[in-house]
Amino acid sequence: MAVAAGSGVKIPRNFWLLEELEEGQKGVGDGTVSWGLEDDDDMTLTRWRGVIIGPPRTSFENRMYNLKVECGPGYPESPPFVRFVTKINLNGVHTSSGVVDMHALTSVAKWQNSYSIRMVLNELRRLMTCKENMKLPQPPEGQIYTN
Amino acid sequence: MADQGAADPGNNNNSKTEASEGTIIKVTVKTPKDKEEIAIAEDASVTQFKEEISKRFKAKQDQLVLIFAGKILKDGDSLSQHGIKDGLTVHLVIKTAHKAGEGSSSSTTASSSNPTQTGSSSTSSPAANPSTTVGSSGSAPQSTQTPNVLSGFGDLANMAGLGMSSGNFMELQQQMQRQLMSNPEMLSQIMENPLVQNMMSNPDLMRQMIMANPQMQQLMERNPEISHMLNNPELMRQTMELARNPAMMQEMMRNQDRALSNLESIPGGYNALRRMYTDIQEPMFSAAREQFGNNPFSALGGGSESGAQPSRTENREPLPNPWAPPNSSNPPENGGSTPGSGSNSTTGGTNPTVSNPLGISAGSLGNGMFNSPGMQSLMQQISENPQLMQNMLSAPYMRSMMQSLSQNPELASQVLMNNPLFAGNPQLQEQFRSQLPIFLQQMQNPEALSVMTNPRAMQALMQIQQGLQLLQTEAPGLMPSLMTGGIPGMPTAGGMPTAGGMPTAGVMPTAGPMPTGGSLPTENPATSPSSAGTNNAQQQLMQQMLQMFAGGGSATTQTPEVLFRSQLDQLNAMGFINREANLQALIATGGDINAAIERLLGSQPS
Repeated sequence: MAVAAGSGVKIPRNFWLLEELEEGQKGVGDGTVSWGLEDDDDMTLTRWRGVIIGPPRTSFENRMYNLKVECGPGYPESPPFVRFVTKINLNGVHTSSGVVDMHALTSVAKWQNSYSIRMVLNELRRLMTCKENMKLPQPPEGQIYTN
Repeated sequence: MADQGAADPGNNNNSKTEASEGTIIKVTVKTPKDKEEIAIAEDASVTQFKEEISKRFKAKQDQLVLIFAGKILKDGDSLSQHGIKDGLTVHLVIKTAHKAGEGSSSSTTASSSNPTQTGSSSTSSPAANPSTTVGSSGSAPQSTQTPNVLSGFGDLANMAGLGMSSGNFMELQQQMQRQLMSNPEMLSQIMENPLVQNMMSNPDLMRQMIMANPQMQQLMERNPEISHMLNNPELMRQTMELARNPAMMQEMMRNQDRALSNLESIPGGYNALRRMYTDIQEPMFSAAREQFGNNPFSALGGGSESGAQPSRTENREPLPNPWAPPNSSNPPENGGSTPGSGSNSTTGGTNPTVSNPLGISAGSLGNGMFNSPGMQSLMQQISENPQLMQNMLSAPYMRSMMQSLSQNPELASQVLMNNPLFAGNPQLQEQFRSQLPIFLQQMQNPEALSVMTNPRAMQALMQIQQGLQLLQTEAPGLMPSLMTGGIPGMPTAGGMPTAGGMPTAGVMPTAGPMPTGGSLPTENPATSPSSAGTNNAQQQLMQQMLQMFAGGGSATTQTPEVLFRSQLDQLNAMGFINREANLQALIATGGDINAAIERLLGSQPS
């Protein structure tokens, strides 16, 4: 379902999130990122989970990164909180906590209400392919941020 | 939430896993490359689901990683736990050795991610955690790690090898070029000798050959352009191509000739050209000549020694003169001129002689152009330097040329028939033709060859020739029918006024037997075309020799007038109407038109 983009129409949060949920379940996109509710019973649609598949030809390849996305009540007006569960070495991600600095995600840095979780995940994945990131040494697979 | 549940037994899409309980749902399993619909029981476990998937996607279960709604499905979970319902999409990643996580249903495609892959495999090895799904996916790569590494390196090695082999791009290009060129060229009859073909198609080889010659090296030192040209594979290739393509060759030569004429028109240009020629071309040719052993075209001391050329005439070898193979002395030039013509194009103004031989040899088949002043000068040079002759003849290519000639009598006859000497004399042609097989055979005679390579013998022959000529002029009636087989190309070297036709005649028959007879015919087809082309004097001589050795041939000694008829005509056309003066000049110069003209002009001016 297409959502009227950006300016003007304000989509109610839940509608928006529900739509995102559906998209996540249907596998919209190229399959390199996935997202969905962390808890299906979560009526507030706040806690989400995401998976990013490491892009090929990078140090992230062959890996799957779990993320947690929190869409606060201000979402989609305000950006969600994103943090990595799987340990990762990436610019813009706190090394100790895995929290993603939204401002590092250039294309979504200036958050707009038309942006989505999907976009965030895609942007993260794109970051992985950046020159500055693609060769970063990564921690051993399977490690997660304890917190 | 909702269980589609209830009854949907209609879905007997046999999920083999659990058909009995639960409904069957159709779940789309999507990889970045592929999409499949898998029917599975609603309450199946992830493991079972994976089983299905592995069958469908032809991948090992260990390699499968399922993601739904942002969560990785662990084996122990159930589908319903994750809320996977009918019509929903689950993402699949097939972890393969090479691929970077993005599974494809057909598993491994060796990607170039080798370096990263090896890197990741090394990092994954310490990982080794089974528990989490990530771990399970981690174990997948791990289990396949060994083949990974190997194949990774293998691939890498392959690629590197590929790179290495083509690392020398020049070589690769040359190889390709060679193949390209040699295939269609094999069919072309431009070069009869497969040796030539091979050689010509290997610019590297040619270059090496050229460069191996110390003379050439000297030359290269003096003229760096040459070395540039030689080292430029592009150029070599081009010249090779040119050599093989007579049409192209002619075209190019014409262009060069035109360019040269332009050059000449510039004040001082002619001198520059001449200088260029003598500096570069001559040594190059003499050098090149030695080199190209297996090039049959190199026979006949290839017109390379046109050193005397510039001094005399307007230097040009006439426009493309396709030389007959036996005639063309050009293989050395061929090779030498290949770069030469290359340099022609680059330096834009080397002597046409350079280009000439190339085109000549290339297009030479059966076209005898013996009138080239180049040949004349060649013969002169040869006469001046018997060594040259020896070199020339001792070259293996000579032999091969002769061989090819003998094998192809038609060609030889064609070549010889083109000889202007015979042109006006069908009788002679007949004679010659009949003699042809014998000549060819004799050409093969090593003894004959040795005679030819013996400078003293050559000199003797030359003397004989001169004597004959003298004889003819002095006493035309004395020399009756001579066999076709006179010593051709021995221009008048040491004037030998051997007095008296008799002794000479006596000498002749004695010399006549095997060796000379052999050598004469040997030389004849070989050099006759060339010589005939060059010097009218030589034509005469040859004719005389032919007559003499024929010992009964028809040819009556012709008066100078008859002999020089064509030249006279030419002079007439040029405007020298004084027939007698022309004739005298012609006689004096032995039939050389240019010299005669000079003579005439010299006498006139006042």
